[in-house]
Amino acid sequence: MISIGANGFQLFVNYMVAILVAIALVLALKLPLLPEKPIRFSWTKSALFPTPVFAMGILAIFYSLNVFWIYNGLLIAIIVGVFSAVFVKYLFDYVFPSPQGGSK
Amino acid sequence: MELIVGLVLATIISWLNFVIVDTFLGLPEAPGVKGAETVGYSIKNRKGDLAGGFFQGNILCSPDASAGTLIASIGVYILGIQGGLIAALLVYIGNRLCADPGYAGTTGALTMTLLIFIFSFIGITPEMFICGMVIAIFTIQGIHHPTSSRLIGKIAKSFGRYTKYE
Repeated sequence: MISIGANGFQLFVNYMVAILVAIALVLALKLPLLPEKPIRFSWTKSALFPTPVFAMGILAIFYSLNVFWIYNGLLIAIIVGVFSAVFVKYLFDYVFPSPQGGSK
Repeated sequence: MELIVGLVLATIISWLNFVIVDTFLGLPEAPGVKGAETVGYSIKNRKGDLAGGFFQGNILCSPDASAGTLIASIGVYILGIQGGLIAALLVYIGNRLCADPGYAGTTGALTMTLLIFIFSFIGITPEMFICGMVIAIFTIQGIHHPTSSRLIGKIAKSFGRYTKYE
């Protein structure tokens, strides 16, 4: 079995909190829940993609560096959730600009 | 678990993971990047299948579920479950850098992290998945392109994801 840290259940709760905070905040910032159909073009930002990917990935980086801070990492989870939502809404297009041209 | 048995199981699981995720998310339908189009028509000219060719071009030219599966296995091997989640983020960033519009890489990395976690209970280790994924991708990309593209074409048809290009 793979180790998921000292307290696996607490970590699972933290990831869920980060994802839910990120999704709720992104919805509050008026991004759509689902990408446009057909789901083939991942550059369209939505609450379910890529916001949770950023929330989980950034939180995993903190935890794998053993940064838990207070409340067993719960506060970091909330902060990362908020950051992911704000990042996807406002900074995303600046950091990952849409490529010009490319294939049809 | 016995090494050889674990390797065989890991190869089958990895193969199913990346082929199902990639096909379901539309890799055989259209080339996501320019290179995939070139590879697809090149394989078709060698009596291969165009949809299978696009599939092979897409997994060659940008991170898709095959890359996601391999990188997630490596991530879990190094850092545990956290590594799989970091791998998904890295694959997504890689997709953006390659200007690939797909979802398959990130999805594949996340499903593989879950699969590695589930199958760790019966004793398949992440290093078996790393080796298994290399063998799995070899069966698609390394032996005979026209034959494997025809197989992928059949799978794409059964999923309703066959290409409309000619």
